[in-house]
Amino acid sequence: MQRTFATATVVALALAACGGSGSPASPTSGTGKTLIISTDLPRQGASKDGSEATNQAIELYLDQIGHKVGDYTIELKKYDDSTAAAGKWDPGQCTKNADDHVANVNEVGVMGTYNSGCAKIILPILNQDPQGPMLMVSQANTNPGLTKMWDPGEPDKYYPTGKRNFARVVTTDDTQGRASAQFMARDLGVKKCFILNDNETYGQGVAQSFVAEAPAVGIQILGNEPWDPKQASYTALFEKIKALEPDCVFFGGVYENNGGQLIKDKVAVLGDNTKVKIMATGFIGYPELNKLAEGQGLYLAFPGLTTDDLKSQGGEAAKLIADYAAKYGGEPATSYALYGVAAVQVILAAIAKSDGTRKSITEQVFSGSGITIPADISAIGKKFSIDPATGDINLLDTTIEIIKNNAETYLKGWPITA
Amino acid sequence: MSLDTPKLTESEPIRSDLSQSHTKRWALWFSGIALVVWLFYTFVLPLLGEQAGTFIRHWMPLGSINEALVWVICAIGLNIVVGYAGLLDLGFVAFWAIGGYIAAWLMSTFFDQISHGIYFLSAAPPNQHGIHINWWLVLIISGCVCAFAGIVIGAPTLRLKSDYLALVTLGFGEIIPQFFVNGENIFGFNLTNGVKGISPLDNVSPLPFGPPAVSLGGATIPISQPLGPFDVGAKYVLFVLVAAFCIFVSLRLREGRLGRAWLAIREDELAASMMGVPLMQSKLAAYAVGAFMGGLGGVVYAVHNNSVFPDRFSFAISIVLLAMVVLGGMGNVWGVIVGALGLAWFNSTGLPQLGDSFNEQFGTDINFPSYNYLVFGSILVLMMLFRREGIFPEARTRQVLREAERSDAEELDGGEV
Repeated sequence: MQRTFATATVVALALAACGGSGSPASPTSGTGKTLIISTDLPRQGASKDGSEATNQAIELYLDQIGHKVGDYTIELKKYDDSTAAAGKWDPGQCTKNADDHVANVNEVGVMGTYNSGCAKIILPILNQDPQGPMLMVSQANTNPGLTKMWDPGEPDKYYPTGKRNFARVVTTDDTQGRASAQFMARDLGVKKCFILNDNETYGQGVAQSFVAEAPAVGIQILGNEPWDPKQASYTALFEKIKALEPDCVFFGGVYENNGGQLIKDKVAVLGDNTKVKIMATGFIGYPELNKLAEGQGLYLAFPGLTTDDLKSQGGEAAKLIADYAAKYGGEPATSYALYGVAAVQVILAAIAKSDGTRKSITEQVFSGSGITIPADISAIGKKFSIDPATGDINLLDTTIEIIKNNAETYLKGWPITA
Repeated sequence: MSLDTPKLTESEPIRSDLSQSHTKRWALWFSGIALVVWLFYTFVLPLLGEQAGTFIRHWMPLGSINEALVWVICAIGLNIVVGYAGLLDLGFVAFWAIGGYIAAWLMSTFFDQISHGIYFLSAAPPNQHGIHINWWLVLIISGCVCAFAGIVIGAPTLRLKSDYLALVTLGFGEIIPQFFVNGENIFGFNLTNGVKGISPLDNVSPLPFGPPAVSLGGATIPISQPLGPFDVGAKYVLFVLVAAFCIFVSLRLREGRLGRAWLAIREDELAASMMGVPLMQSKLAAYAVGAFMGGLGGVVYAVHNNSVFPDRFSFAISIVLLAMVVLGGMGNVWGVIVGALGLAWFNSTGLPQLGDSFNEQFGTDINFPSYNYLVFGSILVLMMLFRREGIFPEARTRQVLREAERSDAEELDGGEV
């Protein structure tokens, strides 16, 4: 019996293995050359649902345009930059994917990554592609150092050839942090803030930019400390903060890092969110947080527009969300799904203007007037363009929301002012 | 009760001879396979058609083999501690991390306080910030530092056994990566760059001198030129050499006085000490040698990824390493190699590729990699049920696991053992 079971398993696996060459399916339409674009996302661990939603939204969009751009037929290949062993993105997998992107002859552009750390590994490899540099457009990499001066050596160390090949359709951490500080000072009238960050690249970046903006808007920073995601209770931390008498607390980090406990303990020690105001980045899109009693009154900042905002704007974004809901039985699990489509639109626009080679496609984004996506087709509802000098998007809007009545409620957009 | 001592001493030399010829045979196999793989990827793969080439690049890219070699090096190191000496170590990832960071410190522009750079036989471009040491030297430095760290962790655990020992090593495995996470501000000094990690590292060169490269049969073989991201074949050769060194050391120690002392401690610590085996010295040596290899693995890993990030060095990595040792065959170097290569490939390439092919064949959209732990766990359970000793067990382990229970033996022997 054991042997039969084992044999059956091996045969099944072998059949699956021999079934395909591992390359994407043959194109079903189009007469021109077939080009492959890829997504590079963490498909295991905490980010799995968001990555699946992003892949699905992109597939849906490609289906809608008939997998055609100009004379080219476009196919999608999905890469996974996470491993089960790590439970999230993994540097080894990022290296492997980068090698695979370059080795995959017909692949011309990469949509991703989700994590800036992974981008920092993949980017220099794609940059040195002998047929490239190869274009990479991210929907979620908000770390400023990828495109502008941030830490020592950045961003030049990611571009060994001296040519740019990275663009993004989201604003950066520094914009989010600045917008949060400006909003808290001008609209909420706070004066003394304590900053907590989750000690990860994103959280530290946002917190750092909040601290940098604070003096300009008249906020006194009482401290900027990391919170430990593995800690069972933050009561002691907030007791220490309470002694400093803050009128606001700012969380820079992601909700997955024990954000629920953090907020519970904040309210338990510092009191109601109407007394000591609280704002967070990276806490958007978590139904369990919205239903938490201690979460009510929490202000949220998001780089770009949320799914609700995108819907309310109408146009292509609203249509895509409706089509997505009709096909997959619910709205995308993350707003980044639509930003993923916007990133693909940048790659496709570059392909349409190019001669179909990697080098030419990248050049379309980083030369002349660069790439502009008009409002009527934009997956994020409004016209946007990519700065050919840096690869950054021109939209610096940060969305401000508040959790009330157990739901995220749109408050306002916060365009950055000097 | 009587002990049949003469019988035991008579059988020992015979087993040792068998083991040595067995070892030589396997060493030839390893060298042969490593060479064939290199020849294939360097000379044959470029000649294959696009379809066959794509198939191989998808299912068995050389980059994946390189990464698997990192796992192999670390698994061989862990095998010395767990497989040879029988000391359960749940924090081996700490040495991997230390090795990686030593490489990052000594082979990058990270220390920008050193404005004109410290160079020693490095292939890095001149006039850069930071420290730039030849990677072979970095391997030795890293191995030695890790060996010292191994002794530091080993020393307080000498009096501990089983669960308690596992807990202390687990603690060590948690503390070290946490140190790297929080090391961005040590009294104002940025030692580790925190979660942002250190990247990129210097490009390594196979040799610090000689011609930049030689042409051989249409292929360019780098000699002293820095290896770029696409010189995967040359990196493969370097990583194989490091792995071969670990295997050689591991096998030779196993056959020697120290190796036999480890095995004696593993089988019965009390009996070993009664027979004059120096427990403290032998255990510390196991930790040191294992950690040395962990340090080598860390450097190779950093060079392979051209970066080091602290959150990669999680507890799960120690567990996967342990699973490689147990699945492959605890105590048997070759079994451990097979376990490490197999699991590393399955994790990075096998399952995602199988998923792609399955989805393509049957028109489904199943996210195969998300079931990784289900498959992994099932394999572990099945192995424990049907082949506890691992895929290629050590002969001695097989005997122990397959022999009848002691009480049965006693019964068969009429109560005398």
